[in-house]
Amino acid sequence: MDVLNLLTDSNFWFGVLRSTTPVLFAALASLMSSISGITNMALEGAMLFAALFAVIGSALTGNIWIGLLFAVIVSVVVTLALGFFKMRLKADEIMVAIAINLLATGGTVFILYLITGNKSTSSSLPSGVFPALNIPLIENIPFIGNVVSGHNILVYVAFLSVIVVYYLLYRTALGLRIRSIGGNEEAAESVGVSVEKTRYTALLISGILTGLSGAYLSMGYLSIFTAGMTAGRGYIALAASFVGGTNPFGTMLASGLFGLFDQLGNQLQSISNTPQEFIFMIPYLATVIMYTVFAYRRSTRQQRANKKLMKQREAEAQ
Amino acid sequence: MKKYLNLLLLMLIAVVAAACGNGEGSGTGSESDSGDALAVTLLVETTGDLSFNDSAVEGIAAAQEEYGDQVSTEVIEYGSDLSRMEGNFLDAADEGADVIIVPSQFVDLVATYAPDYPDTQFWLFDTDFDYEAGDYENVYSIVYSANEASYLGGYLAASTSESDVIGFLGGMDTNIIRDFYVGYAQGALEANPDIEIVSSFVGAWDDSARGKELGLSMYNQDASLVFNVAGGSGVGLIEAAVEQDRQVLGVDSDQAAMYEAQGQDDYAAVIPTSVLKNVGDSLNRAIGLHLEGNLSTGATDYLGLVEEGVGLADNDYFKEAYDQELIDETLEKRQQIIDGEIEVQSAYDMSPEEIEEVENSVRP
Repeated sequence: MDVLNLLTDSNFWFGVLRSTTPVLFAALASLMSSISGITNMALEGAMLFAALFAVIGSALTGNIWIGLLFAVIVSVVVTLALGFFKMRLKADEIMVAIAINLLATGGTVFILYLITGNKSTSSSLPSGVFPALNIPLIENIPFIGNVVSGHNILVYVAFLSVIVVYYLLYRTALGLRIRSIGGNEEAAESVGVSVEKTRYTALLISGILTGLSGAYLSMGYLSIFTAGMTAGRGYIALAASFVGGTNPFGTMLASGLFGLFDQLGNQLQSISNTPQEFIFMIPYLATVIMYTVFAYRRSTRQQRANKKLMKQREAEAQ
Repeated sequence: MKKYLNLLLLMLIAVVAAACGNGEGSGTGSESDSGDALAVTLLVETTGDLSFNDSAVEGIAAAQEEYGDQVSTEVIEYGSDLSRMEGNFLDAADEGADVIIVPSQFVDLVATYAPDYPDTQFWLFDTDFDYEAGDYENVYSIVYSANEASYLGGYLAASTSESDVIGFLGGMDTNIIRDFYVGYAQGALEANPDIEIVSSFVGAWDDSARGKELGLSMYNQDASLVFNVAGGSGVGLIEAAVEQDRQVLGVDSDQAAMYEAQGQDDYAAVIPTSVLKNVGDSLNRAIGLHLEGNLSTGATDYLGLVEEGVGLADNDYFKEAYDQELIDETLEKRQQIIDGEIEVQSAYDMSPEEIEEVENSVRP
């Protein structure tokens, strides 16, 4: 099997959607907070906590949806804590995020150990998995049906979230307020927008999305929690959201590219003799390249706008 | 007022000094108490991994039980914070332990500090050590000939593969992991010269999601069984096997028994057997040899099938997965390795090019 065969294999594209999902959720979460003017690097830690508590909630109650609720609540609490430290205690958000992420690495293992007596996996907890969904009609279309239908339900939720976030940010009054405090805090405040309240609201939504991402990892992607299972996906999501700009559809595209490169790397390993070291580099190399292209485009756009302005002024002067 | 304050301060200093002095006194006291017992300290990252580390801890506990008053053992968990490795290591050495047992991550620290503590012995397990680089008479290291047990695992896997494809999942691309690979490949080729082996590396020990993706990818290429040498990432591989109804060859400890004990029967059912590293037994053995005065330090011990440093897990899943004829054949191979009739290649003796050659010869 070579690369061309790979790209025409529906399993491959099915895998791309599967591995895009956790990054997409978290990237949307990052978008929500960064557009309100706060960088949420605590994604990684919040995701890890959510992944653990999803399993705990599901095992305790025997209900997967309560597991999801646990995950979302924990993740919201962690994310709001970031906001509290930033806004009330005037701490640096990156420093707080690093602390949260380190706490999550050790804390999840500690809680796991307290509950199960095992420090690496939650295999003794009888937790559930979210169901897979076959989409009627679409599942019968050759190729596309195999790629799009039959995913875990949270995969669809992730892609629907893109539309929801877009609608929220660009079609509602709340969205306008969130964008305005991220754009210019003082100006927004002067017309009566409560910066603190609005930013907490944005972080609340960010926390919900992060919680979904964590729950997907331990109750969709896999059926158990394993120590450190986020494995840097929060940071990748952070990068994806910056590459994607301010538009949720851009975020989706950037996350999708990560999913694609990730999956390509996974498959290339066993079918070609490309050195492993190079393959491990692919998703990160892609980040650097995408971000460079993004930054370049932004700066040329700015330059064009400046030139246009200059010309207009020249014309006016004449 | 100021005078009183000064007096108070002075008193405080006196008390603290006395307390410190006391501490030191009791320290020497306890040393003389346990004067003739061999003080053994084991450093592990964390316990509770149900595998490698727990096995080491069990070995130490078994030695304590077996030799009673002759040894006094202590286990220190240094945690996942690597910056604490060095501190804990030096603390153990300064506190006067006679023997400090550490896993392979400590190779460099042992190489640096062992000459500073000539009265302390440093035992490394699961790694080679460069004794030529200095005066290391107080260092001893254990290498498990995982290649020998992997040979048997590969033999079983290839004998029962209907697709003529099997897989290998490694955590990181290191010599320790490659040693499993080359033995596995040799055993598989012995059973079936047409066997093909797909292999992948996760690049991390804790990325279970990527472990699952790589597992699915290999099962997609018709691998009937994948050898799981990926630590925590391997949990994902086992999930992939459950989903695809294929098999996993476990590693380090009896993984089927382990998951069965945790109530995860669906995991256990896809693991017909595991390639064991009997870490605990090897440490217990070394302590015993040391007490008898028969431990040869300043050298590496290679523990293979003969010394029972490695082996295959024998359980109900094993008996169910393989018929008696095949099991007998495998036992015969085992005997041939022990007798030296079959020489299993080892990654420790091979150059990267030679390992790549092996990989290319079985690549689909």
